[in-house]
Amino acid sequence: MKHKKNLFNQLLVISISTLIWVNLALAESDQLSGLEIAQQVNARDEGEAVSRNLVMEMIDRRGKKRVRETRGFRKYYGAEKRTIIFYLQPKNVRKTAFLTYDYPQVDDDQWLYLPAMRKVRRISSSDRGDYFLGTDFTYEDIKKEGKLGIEDYTWRKIGEEIIDDHHSYIVEAIPINDEVAKELGYGKVIYSVDSNIWMVRQAKSWDIRGNALKTVHTRDIYQVQNIWTAHTLEVSNHKTGHNTRFLFSDIDYSTGVTDDVFTQQSLRRGL
Amino acid sequence: MNSINQIRVTRFFQSVLAYPKTIIVAGLILILGSAIFIPTLQKDTRSDAFIPPDHPALIYRDKVEDIFGLKDPMVIAIVNEGETGIFNPQTLALVDWLTQQIESMDNIDHERVTSLATENDIIGTDDGMIVAAFFEAPPKDQQQADHIRAAVMDFPLYLGSLVSREGDATLIVAELIDQTQAQEVYTSLLELVERAPTQPGDAIHVAGEGAVSGYMGAYIDADAQRLNPIAALIITLILFVSFRTLRGTLLPNFVVLATVGSALGVMAAFDVRFFVITNALPVVLIGIAVADSIHILSQYYEEIAQNPKDTPQQIVMRTMEAMWRPITVTTFTTMAGFLGLSLASVMPPMQYFGLFAMLGVGVAWIFSITVLPAALSLLKLKPSPAYRTAAQLNAVQLSVSQVDRFGLAMKAFGSWVSRHHIVVLFLALLVTVAGVMGATRLELNEARIDIFQKDEPIVKADTLINQKLDGVHYLDVVVETPQAEDIFKPEHLRRIEALQRYAETLPNVNGSTSIVDYLKQMNRALNEDRLDAYQLPNDPDLVAQYFLLYSASGDPTDFEKEVDYDYRLANVRIRMDTGVYTDEKVVVEAMQHYVNDHFNTAGISANLSGRVNVDYHWIKLLGASHFGSVAVALILVWMMASFNMRSMVAGVITVIPVAFSVLLIYAVMGFSGIWLAIGTSMFAAIAIGLGVDFAVHTIERFKVLIREKQHSFDEAIEILYPSTGRALLFNFTALVLGFGVLATSEVVPLIKFGSLVAVGISASFIASMTLLPALIKAIQPAFLYPNETVASSVSHNKVMEANDLTNTTQKEKNDETQKEPV
Repeated sequence: MKHKKNLFNQLLVISISTLIWVNLALAESDQLSGLEIAQQVNARDEGEAVSRNLVMEMIDRRGKKRVRETRGFRKYYGAEKRTIIFYLQPKNVRKTAFLTYDYPQVDDDQWLYLPAMRKVRRISSSDRGDYFLGTDFTYEDIKKEGKLGIEDYTWRKIGEEIIDDHHSYIVEAIPINDEVAKELGYGKVIYSVDSNIWMVRQAKSWDIRGNALKTVHTRDIYQVQNIWTAHTLEVSNHKTGHNTRFLFSDIDYSTGVTDDVFTQQSLRRGL
Repeated sequence: MNSINQIRVTRFFQSVLAYPKTIIVAGLILILGSAIFIPTLQKDTRSDAFIPPDHPALIYRDKVEDIFGLKDPMVIAIVNEGETGIFNPQTLALVDWLTQQIESMDNIDHERVTSLATENDIIGTDDGMIVAAFFEAPPKDQQQADHIRAAVMDFPLYLGSLVSREGDATLIVAELIDQTQAQEVYTSLLELVERAPTQPGDAIHVAGEGAVSGYMGAYIDADAQRLNPIAALIITLILFVSFRTLRGTLLPNFVVLATVGSALGVMAAFDVRFFVITNALPVVLIGIAVADSIHILSQYYEEIAQNPKDTPQQIVMRTMEAMWRPITVTTFTTMAGFLGLSLASVMPPMQYFGLFAMLGVGVAWIFSITVLPAALSLLKLKPSPAYRTAAQLNAVQLSVSQVDRFGLAMKAFGSWVSRHHIVVLFLALLVTVAGVMGATRLELNEARIDIFQKDEPIVKADTLINQKLDGVHYLDVVVETPQAEDIFKPEHLRRIEALQRYAETLPNVNGSTSIVDYLKQMNRALNEDRLDAYQLPNDPDLVAQYFLLYSASGDPTDFEKEVDYDYRLANVRIRMDTGVYTDEKVVVEAMQHYVNDHFNTAGISANLSGRVNVDYHWIKLLGASHFGSVAVALILVWMMASFNMRSMVAGVITVIPVAFSVLLIYAVMGFSGIWLAIGTSMFAAIAIGLGVDFAVHTIERFKVLIREKQHSFDEAIEILYPSTGRALLFNFTALVLGFGVLATSEVVPLIKFGSLVAVGISASFIASMTLLPALIKAIQPAFLYPNETVASSVSHNKVMEANDLTNTTQKEKNDETQKEPV
């Protein structure tokens, strides 16, 4: 049975790869546009629900490091997305938990459980350009989880390159207007999109004034339950000298994540 | 040995006169060769430049600045004294507009621009906490503005630091990416303020340490470009009045060019920065460089007047034989004065000032004994109208050249001094007593903002900001704990809180900020915004969780100024409204005591840092450094004079007029309340180095007249005053007017410095012309009257012998020149 599934998976991969190859060939003749590449990225499957361990390493410009070990769950409810993160380490924040409901149109809802107070506190919804829990990712980066905000930018393919031994398209994304740029905190982003698996391998961003801002590097990409998954995300903030590394492990897309995980009771209860 | 010495000197000048053109060309090459570097001179107007780079307070401050990312900022104040203060739609829109414009300026770290438009409020709600901007967009009506006012007034952290407690002023604080470009940023800020959409009632001011450094660069540039030409012009004018010939006016300028050019050129070549006080160097050098020329040219014209038929070579030869010695002695004593400044000072700008002034004096000497005689020997003899020839005068009085009314005035003055020498001594005693009294009232103090004139916008802005808000002079207290996250411990936090409360009881301290204040605000917000919850949490885990909570909405760098990344170090910033040293001293010393006696324990310790602490430490150094440099300069000058005249008594008499002048300056400072500060502290060493020349020239001439030619004292006075005295008068006038030019400077310390040096030089000139002869008449020292004193000791005889050896050259020369006109 297992063998059969593996075989099936392999077949799937081959067929998808073929499809992509065909697409690629097509692209080369048709000149796949920047927008089409972005759409390909967003069409990629990322599983309906996932559970995973995440170690967040944050390093300041002087090399001082903060490490936070967490376990997180995420599930889509149509266009709505719910995320919960339970802190495991260090000891003084253990059992602290962070719950977010991202709605497609209205502001998100966020709650935080502080075990030392034994209270769940609602916290203000975050702006898209705000930094996420002291990391170099913005809330928008976290929310998109590797996907692209197609409607926020105008897209243009500007070249191709080999990155981490993989052929990639270089796509330039410019915010559609100043307001969006200010909201996102980016004046320009250049994505390097793997032309094979449609994952962003590298994203370089510039601030509104055109200063180099951040480089996000996606590493250790391999399939988990047929879903291409990045296991390491590295961000360097060129302006602050701050660095963040996300290390994912124990990723599981298949075991069902129950709805009652994403509740305030669950925040309090913990894992 | 005597003849060998004389032969050497004669040979030297013979070779100078044998190759005059070569020497002039070599001189030109030297000037060009060093001046070529001048364009690479780098300005350094930072106040840190005055601190020895290895001073522990500076090193620690730099470390602290690196850890907490603190920099000297630009501070822009928006003031509205209307009914609503700054909390009205227009003024808040202005704050928003300015903030955005400043964020997009070059060289501004746009992530470190702090204003009401960028900062977050921490507000408690029924079920949680909100961290949100005070306003995303400027308020549309007064009601919204009132709302913002209420929010700000309920947030203790920003009161006094970001917004005035009365609500009539707010700050935009901006940090620079490159602090050395402060001048450009300051200029663009002023341009921005010009075109800002202000409404009636709104006023914008730019200040802050960054602005002060930035403006100082431009301020000094403008000043130097104005002062140096004026100084050169005035000196040229004096030369013309003194000699009334073209060569007498232009040749000394050549020496000036060489002196200033080489000193600044070598400075640039060795990558020494042009500091605030370096501005005084060219003016000082112009005055010094011209002095040697004045004495040589005076002698030259006297020689022409006496022997109009001699060849130029003969005239120049005799001039140099007569003048090389006093010029050499004054050069070395002046260099000794500057060496004293350089050796005893701990501040790099002063060390370099002394060093390059020394170099300049040396170059002036070399040019005066080579290029100047070489040039004179090439020119046809042309008597100066200021010196009538013996033939014209048709009268043979004493063997002295006949001069103009300046000389006659000096002669009359000399005979008055001789007649009333007891009165002179008595007056000197009175002035000395007054000087000692004034000196006891001397105050060591400094305030950086005082560099600018009181009516400068930057001074007004600084005063206003320090009045309306808590102040922009920061004393940092850096708290250290052994382990990461130790700062979370409630006992440590409470200790920091107590330290802040203590600091706030000190004079001129109006507020302080630390991580404690943020934690209290968060504690309140998370407890339904209850006012009684504005206190520290008791659980270290809760503190850790507060920070995590805050990171859900705030920026990762939000607490960078208050706590380090692994929560081991914390910074307490104490805000003072004054940058005056004596006020800072009170606070720094009180805080140091508090830290030692009440704060430091095994688990936690604190150190002082910040601009206030650094200023305190180095200005304290300034006092010791000043008196050290005065002492060293006096001793070096005394040693140099004693050695040159082979008599320690002669050394003492040489030093008396300058010591007297220094005392007089202290008296002026003490009685008029001028602080002993950076600018003024240098006056003494410079006044000593320059002022001693008058005494040296006078004593040298006395020696020739009394000891060698056996003139009576009164005869000597009659000869000395119209010739040496007249030359000294012009030498003195050149120096006083040269330094007087500094008094027209815009840079306040330079005004004080210039005026004090002018007072000092006047005092030493007058003392050399009055006190010194009066003393000689009263005590009849052995080095002048060897036969009248009992030559009992062997050492005394040795001194006499030495004197004989060195003086015979002059004696012979003088005998020779004396015979001819008769």
